[in-house]
Amino acid sequence: MTSVRAPATAAPRRADVPAIVEAGIRGVSMQVQDLALGFGSATVLSGLDLEVRRGEITALIGPTGSGKTTFLRSLNRMNDKVAKHWHRGDVLLNGASIYAPGAQLMALRRRVGMVFQRPNPFPMSIAANILAGVKAHRIAGKEHYRDIVEARLREVGLWDAVSNRLNSSPFSLSGGQQQLLCLARALAIGPEVLLLDEPTSSLDPVTTENIEAMARSLVPALTVVIVTHNLGQARRISDRTVFFYQGKMVECAETAQLFEDPREPETARYVTGRMG
Amino acid sequence: MALAARQAPPAQAPAARAGGRGRLAWLRASSRRLTGERSFLRYATGVAALLPLLALVGIVAILAAKAWPAMKLNGAGFFWRSVWDPGNTYGAPVKTDGVLHPVGAHYGALPLIVGTLASSAIAVLFAVPLSIGAALAVVEKLPRRASHVLGMFLELLAGIPSVVFGLWGILTLGPVLSRDVYPAVASIMPDVPVLRFFRGDTGYGEGLMTAGLVLGVMIIPIVAATTRDLLRQVPVLTKEGAAALGMSDWEVASKVSIPWVRAGMIGASVLGLARALGETMAVAMVSGSLLGTVPANLYGKMGTIASTIVQQLDGAFSDGTGFAVRTLAEFALLLAVITLLTNIAARLLVRKVAATALPVGRGV
Ligand SMILES: Nc1ncnc2c1ncn2[C@@H]1O[C@H](COP(=O)(O)OP(=O)(O)O)[C@@H](O)[C@H]1O
Ligand SMILES: [Mg+2]
Repeated sequence: MTSVRAPATAAPRRADVPAIVEAGIRGVSMQVQDLALGFGSATVLSGLDLEVRRGEITALIGPTGSGKTTFLRSLNRMNDKVAKHWHRGDVLLNGASIYAPGAQLMALRRRVGMVFQRPNPFPMSIAANILAGVKAHRIAGKEHYRDIVEARLREVGLWDAVSNRLNSSPFSLSGGQQQLLCLARALAIGPEVLLLDEPTSSLDPVTTENIEAMARSLVPALTVVIVTHNLGQARRISDRTVFFYQGKMVECAETAQLFEDPREPETARYVTGRMG
Repeated sequence: MALAARQAPPAQAPAARAGGRGRLAWLRASSRRLTGERSFLRYATGVAALLPLLALVGIVAILAAKAWPAMKLNGAGFFWRSVWDPGNTYGAPVKTDGVLHPVGAHYGALPLIVGTLASSAIAVLFAVPLSIGAALAVVEKLPRRASHVLGMFLELLAGIPSVVFGLWGILTLGPVLSRDVYPAVASIMPDVPVLRFFRGDTGYGEGLMTAGLVLGVMIIPIVAATTRDLLRQVPVLTKEGAAALGMSDWEVASKVSIPWVRAGMIGASVLGLARALGETMAVAMVSGSLLGTVPANLYGKMGTIASTIVQQLDGAFSDGTGFAVRTLAEFALLLAVITLLTNIAARLLVRKVAATALPVGRGV
C-alpha cells in the first residue's frame, strides 16, 4: 500500500475515539443493503451492497456518470429533496436504518458530514462559516466560539492565513482556502463519518496534497468516504476502494489489491487507464 | 455625407467587379458609408442615453421655476411648520418680497413630510417580510403548479388600478381594522417611547395605519417578484451545503439564502418604497386628508405630499394670485427630492452591504 500515512499538518487526535477502534478491531460504520435508487423513471443505482468500515478511508472510483456522487449523497440522504427521487433497500449507520420512519434527518447529517466538489462557503464571515453548524445544533455556548474557530482552522491548516481576517468575507479567499474552510466547517460539528465528493477536483496540487494529508489524519477517529477521479489519490490515501460502473458496484477490495490484482475485467480496464 | 455615401455603392459596384481604380473607389465609399452609419448610430445612442437625464433635469427645472416665488415666501420654515392656510382668496391680494399672494396665505410641509415617510415606512415594513415569505414559498416549498398559481396572483395584484385599492381600503379594510384590530392593539400597547404611537384614539379606519397597510398590499407584487428572482439565483450547491450541515429548511433560508441576496433585497425594498412614496389615489382615498396637523398617533388622519397635491389642485386654481399652485409645485419638488435621496441612500447601503459580504455569483 502506497499511502501517505503521516499527516503533513499535525492535527490532534480526537479524544472521543473509542478505545476499541484504536486497538485495531474495526467495525462497520455504514452498511448499504441492496440499495437501488433513481429519479422518476431513471434508475441510477441498483443492487448495491457495501460495508463502510469504521475508521478507514473508502475511495469510490469509476467513470463519470457511474453514480458515485448519487451514491455518496444517499449516505446522508441529500437525494431526498431531489425531484422524483426514489429508493429501495436500506442504509444502516451503526446498525440503525437512516431511512427508518422515525429517523432524524438533522441528527443524521450531524453525524454524517459532507464536503462538496466545489467550495460552497456561506454568505457570512469566515468565523461564522465555521460556527454555522455549531450554532444550528447548539453544540457549544457563545463563550467557546472563539476557541472552536481557532481549533478548527488550525486543524485544516488555515489559521495562519486567515487569523487576521476572521470577520471578513470568505469569498476573498482562494478556491483552495475556501475548500479547506468548508472542510473545517464540516468537522466543526464533530461528525462520525465524512463524505467527500471529489473535494480536490478544482484545486491546485499543493492544496490537494494538504487535503489528502488531512484526510489521512482524520482516520481512524473518523470514517471517510471519498469520491475521486484521481486514481493516484485513491491509491495514496484509501484503505479500501470501490469501483463503480454504470450504476453498479463492480468491485470492492483493499486498495492495493484492487489496483494491483483486480478480480473483474472492467476494474482492470479502468485502473489501467484503458476505460474513460 | 451619410446620404451621399449610401448612394455610392450601387453605382460603383459593377466597376468594382472590373477591378482596378473602380474597386478601390468602391471600397473607400463603402468604408465611408460604414463610418457614416457608425457615427450616426453613436449620435443616436448618445442622445437616447441622455434623454432620461434631460427629462429629469427639465422636469426639476420647470418645477423649480414654477415654485421659486413660493419657495422665497414660504422660506426655510416651510419644512418644519404645521399649517395649511390658503388665506383670503376673495380679498385683495398683497405683495411681499415681490411675490403676489392672498392675505394670510401660510403653508407648512411638516405634516405631509411625516405622513409621506411614515405611511411608506409602514408599507415597506409590512410588505418586505410578507414578500420574502411568499418568495421563499414559491422558490423552495411549493410544488411547481402551486407556485405558478401564486405567481399569477401576484401579477394580477400588480395590475389592479390603485383606485380599486383605495376603494377596498376605505370600504372594507379600514372599517374592519378600526373595529376589530386597532382598538385591541391600542389597548395592549405600553406607554413607552415609539410604542406610545400605537395608543390612543383609533378612529374609523381612515388614517396613517390604514394608508400604510393599503400601500403595503400594493407594493407586495413588485417586492415579492424581485425577491423571488433573487432567491432563484442562490446556488443550489450553497443551499445543499447548509442542508448537509443539518440545518433545517428555515435555517437554510434565514442563514444562507436571504443573506446571499441581501444587497438585492435592499434594491427590491427601495423599488417598493419609491412606489409607496409617490402613490396618490389610494392614499387620497384612505388617508382622511388631514391638512396642517401632524397625525397624533398611528391611526390618526393624515395626508401625503402626493395625495395632497392631487386633492388640493382644484382649490388651488381658485387662488387668483397663483400662489397656491406655486406652493403645490414646491411640494412636488420636495417629493422628487425625497424620492431621489431615498434612491441615493439605497445605493450607498447596497454598496456597503455588498462590500462587507458577498456579491451574488462571486466566489469559487
Ligand atoms: N437529479 C437527477 N435526475 C436524473 N438523473 C440524475 C440526477 N442526478 C444524477 N442523475 C444521473 O445519474 C447518473 C450518475 O450521476 P452521478 O452520480 O453524478 O455520477 P458520477 O458522480 O459518478 O459522475 C448520471 O447518469 C446522471 O445523469
Ligand atoms: Mg460526481
